[in-house]
Amino acid sequence: MADYDEQRRLAIKLVYYGPALSGKTTNLMRLHDTVPARARGELMTLETQNDRTLFFDLLPLGFTAPSGLSVRLKLFTVPGQVAHDGTRKAVLSRADGVVFVADSQRSQSLNNGESFENLANNAARVGLDFTQLPLVVQFNKRDLADIVSEEEIRARWGQTTWPVVLASAALGTGVMETFTALLWRVYGTLDRRFGFAATHGLAGEAFVAAAVGG
Amino acid sequence: MGEPSVFDRDRSLEELLLSGGARAELEEALGGLLGQGFYVRDAAGRTLLGDAGHLAGEATEALALRYGVETVGEFAAAGATANERAAVAQLLQLVMRLNARYLMVSELHAAAIDADFAALKEKHAALEQSEARYRALTESLEQRVAEQVRTIEAARTQLYQVEKMAAVGQLAAGMAHEINNPIGFVKSNLTTARGYVASLRALAPFVRARDAGALEAAWSRADLDFVLEDFDALLRESAAGAERVARIVSDLKAFSSVDQTARENLDLNACIRAVCNVARPQVAERADIEFDLGPLSEVYGNAARLNEVFLNIILNAAQAMERRGRILIETRGHDGQAVMRVTDDGRGIPAALLARVFDPFFTTREVGQGTGLGLTVARDIVRAHGGDIAIESTPGVGTTVTVRLPVAAAAR
Repeated sequence: MADYDEQRRLAIKLVYYGPALSGKTTNLMRLHDTVPARARGELMTLETQNDRTLFFDLLPLGFTAPSGLSVRLKLFTVPGQVAHDGTRKAVLSRADGVVFVADSQRSQSLNNGESFENLANNAARVGLDFTQLPLVVQFNKRDLADIVSEEEIRARWGQTTWPVVLASAALGTGVMETFTALLWRVYGTLDRRFGFAATHGLAGEAFVAAAVGG
Repeated sequence: MGEPSVFDRDRSLEELLLSGGARAELEEALGGLLGQGFYVRDAAGRTLLGDAGHLAGEATEALALRYGVETVGEFAAAGATANERAAVAQLLQLVMRLNARYLMVSELHAAAIDADFAALKEKHAALEQSEARYRALTESLEQRVAEQVRTIEAARTQLYQVEKMAAVGQLAAGMAHEINNPIGFVKSNLTTARGYVASLRALAPFVRARDAGALEAAWSRADLDFVLEDFDALLRESAAGAERVARIVSDLKAFSSVDQTARENLDLNACIRAVCNVARPQVAERADIEFDLGPLSEVYGNAARLNEVFLNIILNAAQAMERRGRILIETRGHDGQAVMRVTDDGRGIPAALLARVFDPFFTTREVGQGTGLGLTVARDIVRAHGGDIAIESTPGVGTTVTVRLPVAAAAR
């Protein structure tokens, strides 16, 4: 959970969750390529096994608010494979926001559902209130054939309170849109807690823009 | 945010640069590259490597050491070119990143293992619970099976009792006939004897009057020579009848062993004789019994139960006769066993039925003529005595039943 430390810095933890091979790491790689170097650190990709995440990836972003508050965002991915649930839980722990990266291919519907249920269960296990957790759902891999149609996605997810973004991380589309949608949601929560606008002169637009190096 | 167990917490420059005891090596390497004039300080101004004192008075620009998006310390060196200093700063940042990777992964790994272990324990507890449920189920199942077994045992005991009563009933009918016969002629003899006493009493007046002539006339009129002779004969006959009844009762007592319900050492030959005596009324009109009884060691057993077995076999043999036949009863001691063999020359048993003769309720007799439990009970009794019973038969030739019983331990 985000909090100030003794040097008036604020760390925000954002987690990219989802089934194996849905493109979580690709999302971070695209963000790394898009955000200017002054607003980000190096993308840290941990050991992989056949190109699949074993532990996590980490992309640090950061900026300084007009008040002088140092805001740092740590973007993590979880390992998607079912076997790594302990790792997934530890990475999810204390998250301030979550992007759920679903695989649009029809063959992956079941895996999406299981992974989303796993997210809800693990959130409860690490003490996160899932109904209050800022969450954005991304349907990735829109460039592939035999994918679930947009109408089907809207029909199923339109009822929920979560924003749904269509993306093709491999081509770079939808990645920034997903991230900014999450930033807006996170801003809402943090503004209530820390008075971003009132105390730090940080409005929503400014927060989102600064976070992506604008 | 200081929780030490959280893998993604912020880390100080000291931790990033010097974890794993790398201080001496780093100092030595940097000293080799840069000489004495260098230092590394963290964001709070603490010197971690080198000595800021050696740079006193020299105008040296410090380079920021960055980790992530932050400056976590600075590095300065006197005797090096700008390019060299930039290269050293880059190397230091590489060391920090590699250390950070290692620290995060190892702490995350520990957290993941803890989480997995906790999940395993949860699963284990659930399994234990379900195992306990199944165990309880199994126990109640065993209990129910035991109850059923008890019910079946009770029913079987009752049936065996019925079978025994049927056999005893048959036996009683034979016995009654056997006892009725002597009782009948003893009664008739006693009536005759009463008449003889009356004839003798009629002589009394002549004896008292000392009238020899009249006495003589009355004596021959009443044919008292014959009366006395016959009286003597009928008393002897009656005594023999009473003796016969006494013997039957004694046989019956021996057969039923009413005095003995526990096990004891038994002479099987004596048992067989007692059984044959009791069975004679039912066997006599169908077959002659021949004995070939060899010397036998004593058998430890329950006489009443074993007699039941022998009676059953002998009555079966008698009932197998289509015409008057022969039953041969042999006994032999053999290899620590007392062997009794009963052979009849009756109709025999077809092979198809032979396999079923020990089955409960298997009978070829008319309804009401047998329970079909005779041989079943016989086999149970023999087995309870540690022995076995076998049956061989050839249709039209006859049947042999063999009973083997272990001799008493003391007799071996």
